[in-house]
Amino acid sequence: MRTQTYRDSETVDFVVVGSGAAGGVMARELAQSGLTVVVLEQGPRLSLASFTHDELKEWYLGGITNDAVKNPQTFRDDGAKQAEVQTLKPALWYGRAVGGASLHYTANYWRFHEIDFIERSVLGAIAGTGFADWPIAYADLEPYYTKVEWEVGVSGLAGASPFDPPRSKPYPMPPLPVKSSGVLLERGARKLGLHPIPAPMAINSQPYRGRPACIHCGFCHGFACEVGAKASTLTTVIPEAEATGRCEVRPDSYVARVETNHDGRATGVAYFDRNRRERFQRARAVVVCANGAETPRLLLMSANPRFPHGLANSSGLVGKYLMFNYSSRASGVFEHELNEYKSVQVTRILHDFYDSDPKRGYYGGGGLDARIGPQPATWAIRTAAEGPSWGSAYKARLREFTRTMQVASHSTSLALESNNVTLDPTVKDAWGLPAIRVTYKDHPDDLETARFLQERGAEILAAAGALRVTKAPVSAQTSSVHLLGTCRMGNDPATSVIDRYHRSHDVPNLFLCDGSSLVTSGRGQPTMTIQALAFRAGEHIARFASRGEI
Amino acid sequence: MATAAVPLPWAAIAQAVDEVHIPAPGGDATISFLSAAEAADIEAVASQIIPTDDTPGAREAGVVYFIDRSLASCFSRLAGDYRAQLAAFQAAYRERHPSAGSFASLPSERQVEYLKGVEQTPFFTTTRLLTLLGMLSLPVYGGNRNGVGWKLLGFEDAHAFTAPFGYYDRDYPGFVIDPVTIK
Repeated sequence: MRTQTYRDSETVDFVVVGSGAAGGVMARELAQSGLTVVVLEQGPRLSLASFTHDELKEWYLGGITNDAVKNPQTFRDDGAKQAEVQTLKPALWYGRAVGGASLHYTANYWRFHEIDFIERSVLGAIAGTGFADWPIAYADLEPYYTKVEWEVGVSGLAGASPFDPPRSKPYPMPPLPVKSSGVLLERGARKLGLHPIPAPMAINSQPYRGRPACIHCGFCHGFACEVGAKASTLTTVIPEAEATGRCEVRPDSYVARVETNHDGRATGVAYFDRNRRERFQRARAVVVCANGAETPRLLLMSANPRFPHGLANSSGLVGKYLMFNYSSRASGVFEHELNEYKSVQVTRILHDFYDSDPKRGYYGGGGLDARIGPQPATWAIRTAAEGPSWGSAYKARLREFTRTMQVASHSTSLALESNNVTLDPTVKDAWGLPAIRVTYKDHPDDLETARFLQERGAEILAAAGALRVTKAPVSAQTSSVHLLGTCRMGNDPATSVIDRYHRSHDVPNLFLCDGSSLVTSGRGQPTMTIQALAFRAGEHIARFASRGEI
Repeated sequence: MATAAVPLPWAAIAQAVDEVHIPAPGGDATISFLSAAEAADIEAVASQIIPTDDTPGAREAGVVYFIDRSLASCFSRLAGDYRAQLAAFQAAYRERHPSAGSFASLPSERQVEYLKGVEQTPFFTTTRLLTLLGMLSLPVYGGNRNGVGWKLLGFEDAHAFTAPFGYYDRDYPGFVIDPVTIK
């Protein structure tokens, strides 16, 4: 198929910055509505055949992700401190190729629950935080959750969870085959009166929309799927966007600025092409879907005399309220082999502790799932933090790899202004642009919640018959792949960056849609919600365009 | 219009950065970046992190060759700090054992005893990280020879698998929706 291309000087209807979970959906929705679209992606366009099981490359050398050399980041846990360059891995980790983080995610596709959108009203204010309701409710997003499940492809079992919010349609595919960890989670949890359910995953349990079923290779988490069974935008919505003949995906295009004119309207974006020549793509409107780190960075880098604190930043909240989610874990060793390194990460989850419970004395809730965690080297590195860390005893622990599983928690992060993305004042990336500076320290309630869920996980492992249960220390996070909340949605321009339709309050033809839009963190697994938001935003933005309201 | 806010020399730097990521070809068992004395001490420490017993350890996996090659290529950004950490380790060791030879020349039990006192130092924790990466990365990077690291874990390097995957998912009767009502 020969896809459409545009010249820089042609004014297209939309430039979409980023081709990940949100950008891919946005491009398809706009292009299918008859609008012309150029998608600028900072990374290359890779073929499925180039995707590997090379753990060193994908986890430590920035294979398909932003790497610590080209895209250095600095980190500190306190805004009063000097931020340090992260030499081995960046603090914030995201895909840097067409498909973005949807290439390397684990593909846990939980819907948010009704409570996630209205928690502030239900629970009340939490002092010192930016805890707030969303300007939209679960019911507003439900049709788009269903759209994600059917358009992108999610395997799962409707009606299995007594805690699930209402849904308008079942899943299009049955759950993936259960793994030993799933059987054991089910066994332990049911003994304790809990409600384990098959995990909803954006991985094909059977051939779906031209993509094959999973071959159970085991390399999902941190790796791109070489058969296309895991739903990345590279293999789902992006080819559909291109098939309209109105969408060009331009890889190796590193966006440096969104430009505005004297009316305060966006005119297009300045970017570096693959030869690192500076270019400018004209557009009638700009949609930034660059993720919760790169989106605020781009707005801050786009400061000009009219918008001296960055674009869309009259609230001062661009980059603020960064939320990671927390994942604590308990490990159990069993008598027989589980071989958790095979197949998809997760086959059973439970949501019994999803809601915040004031009786616990702190805010927060989360889900639990069964898995091994990462592949061999990273598992060995993390296991050293849970007990013997070298010598014969450690070697004996390594021999238990195939008999080990984890119950991992996925829980809330409170929005704090002191947790944020800013431009580092001195460190530059390989293009000479300011590096991302991350300031982050978990709220004490987030850590309490993680410890509470870790205890529940340990109880489940014991009830399932584990010979031994160990717990990794729950300590402050210094890195994440969940990049949430940095350009939050809201009705009030003084306390939010975008409106309920993702239009920035300050620049009428600038829209933002990705993890940065989230008002609360949910309980981990944000991609499903990011894509539902993108389907919804794309529909509304296309409608605004057709009515001349952009 | 496009602004010219970005100084140009960064383009050349970025190109150079691209080249750093090309791994060296595999199979070559020579030490070329570290000195022989550095390599000997690193290998001695790595061999205490994953010792050789009835199965191969870090020494048989060729971890030191992985470390040597990676410090010269993909982890060159760590090389300066790591060498300084090693020098500090060696200096502290000599101060404690002025009459003994190198750390590598100590009998194994005395190596273990000494390492217990330094297991929180940056040199030790970085060496552990590099040892585990060398033990369990693809053999093309110079370690994990003959897949001995994967064999230690029981990890089977295969392109695809079919269910059942383990002992507990054999004979699984199928998921039954729990009729129990919410607490």
